[in-house]
Amino acid sequence: MKFLTTNFLTCSVKECDRSNNSFPLHYKGEACQLEQDEGIEFNPEFLLRVIDRVEWDAVVSVAKDLGNSTLPQQKPVFENEELSEEDMIVLRDLHVLLIQTNIVEGEMTCRNCGHIYYIKNSIPNLLLPPHLA
Amino acid sequence: MFPTPYVNCDYNKVYEPSEDSFLLLDVLESEQDALRTMFRNKLGVVCEIGCGSGIVTTFMMQNKIPSTDAVYIPVDISPWALEATMDTAKRNGCSAQYLTPVRANLTAGLKKNEVDVLVFNPPYVPNETIPEMPLDDKNEDDWLDLALLGGNDGMVVTRKLLDGLQDILSSHGVAYVLFCARNWPEKVQEYMQIKGWNAQLIEKRKAGWEVLSVYKFWR
Repeated sequence: MKFLTTNFLTCSVKECDRSNNSFPLHYKGEACQLEQDEGIEFNPEFLLRVIDRVEWDAVVSVAKDLGNSTLPQQKPVFENEELSEEDMIVLRDLHVLLIQTNIVEGEMTCRNCGHIYYIKNSIPNLLLPPHLA
Repeated sequence: MFPTPYVNCDYNKVYEPSEDSFLLLDVLESEQDALRTMFRNKLGVVCEIGCGSGIVTTFMMQNKIPSTDAVYIPVDISPWALEATMDTAKRNGCSAQYLTPVRANLTAGLKKNEVDVLVFNPPYVPNETIPEMPLDDKNEDDWLDLALLGGNDGMVVTRKLLDGLQDILSSHGVAYVLFCARNWPEKVQEYMQIKGWNAQLIEKRKAGWEVLSVYKFWR
C-alpha cells in the first residue's frame, strides 16, 4: 500500500472509534518491507491537494515508524501561487514519501487495543477475527 | 460514451461484470460533470466498497472521475477481488495513478469522514440469510455467494452501509448505491430523506427480469 493510504486507515474494532490512540496505526518498522514505485509521475498540483488534505501529525508519526525522522513538525505551507525552487524540492521529497513509497509487507498495530493487522503483497488486511468483528 | 474497461479474471471466484456493473458505469459517466465541478481544486478520495473485478474503480481512474486529482482506495472482503482489481487496473493502463486496494469488511478500518465519492454495488439479491465469510479458499462458490446474497429483502448489507454513512462520507461527500426493485429503493429513499439526507434517483433500468436503479445520497 502506498504511504499516503496510512492517512486513511484506522483500527477496525468498533470500541476503538472513540479513542484518540487508534489513528494512525503504529507501523512496526523492522517488519515493514518498503519499495519505491516510480510509476506515478511527479505532479506538483496533485501533491499540493494531497498536502492540503492530509493529517500532518499522522504523516510524521508513520514516517518515524518507518525510520524517517526528517519531516518538519509543522505541515509545510506554500504561500505563493508561483512555486519557488525550494518549494519544488519539498514537494518532490513528499512525492517520494507519500506517493512512491509502497509498503509491500508489514505489520500495523492499534495503539488503543493492540490488535495487529498485516500487509501482504501491498494489500493491508483490516478484517477482524470473528470474536472481534 | 466512454469505453468499458477490459476485464479478464476467474469468474469462479470473482463476480463477473454484469448489467448492474454497467449501469454504475453509465451513472458515473453521466455524473462526471457534476463531480468535476464539486471537486475542482480538491483532492478526491474515492472508495468503491465491494470492488469485485475492479471494473468500476478502473473506469473511474481511466476517465478521471471525479477529477484528475483523486486517490482510489477500493475495498473488498475477498482476497480474489483485490487481486482482480489490481490486475484490471493494470490491464487498462492505470498503473500511473494512485491505487491502494484494501481488504476490509465494508468500511470498518477506514478513518471517519474521509470518503468523498463512495460507490457501492452491494450483494442485493434477496435470500434467507447472509453467507458467512469462507474460512478457507477451497470453496470458491462461497466467495461468489458473498458478493451476491443480501439477506431477507436483499438489504441487510446495504442497510448497514447506509446507517453508517454519516461516519464515512466527508462533509461534501457523495455516495452512489445500486438497488434492485425487490430492495424497495423508493422506501429506502424516503427513509434516508427522513434521516436528513438528500436522496436522488439517478438512473433506473430493466435488466432481464430485474429492475435496477442507482441512487445518489449526500448531505
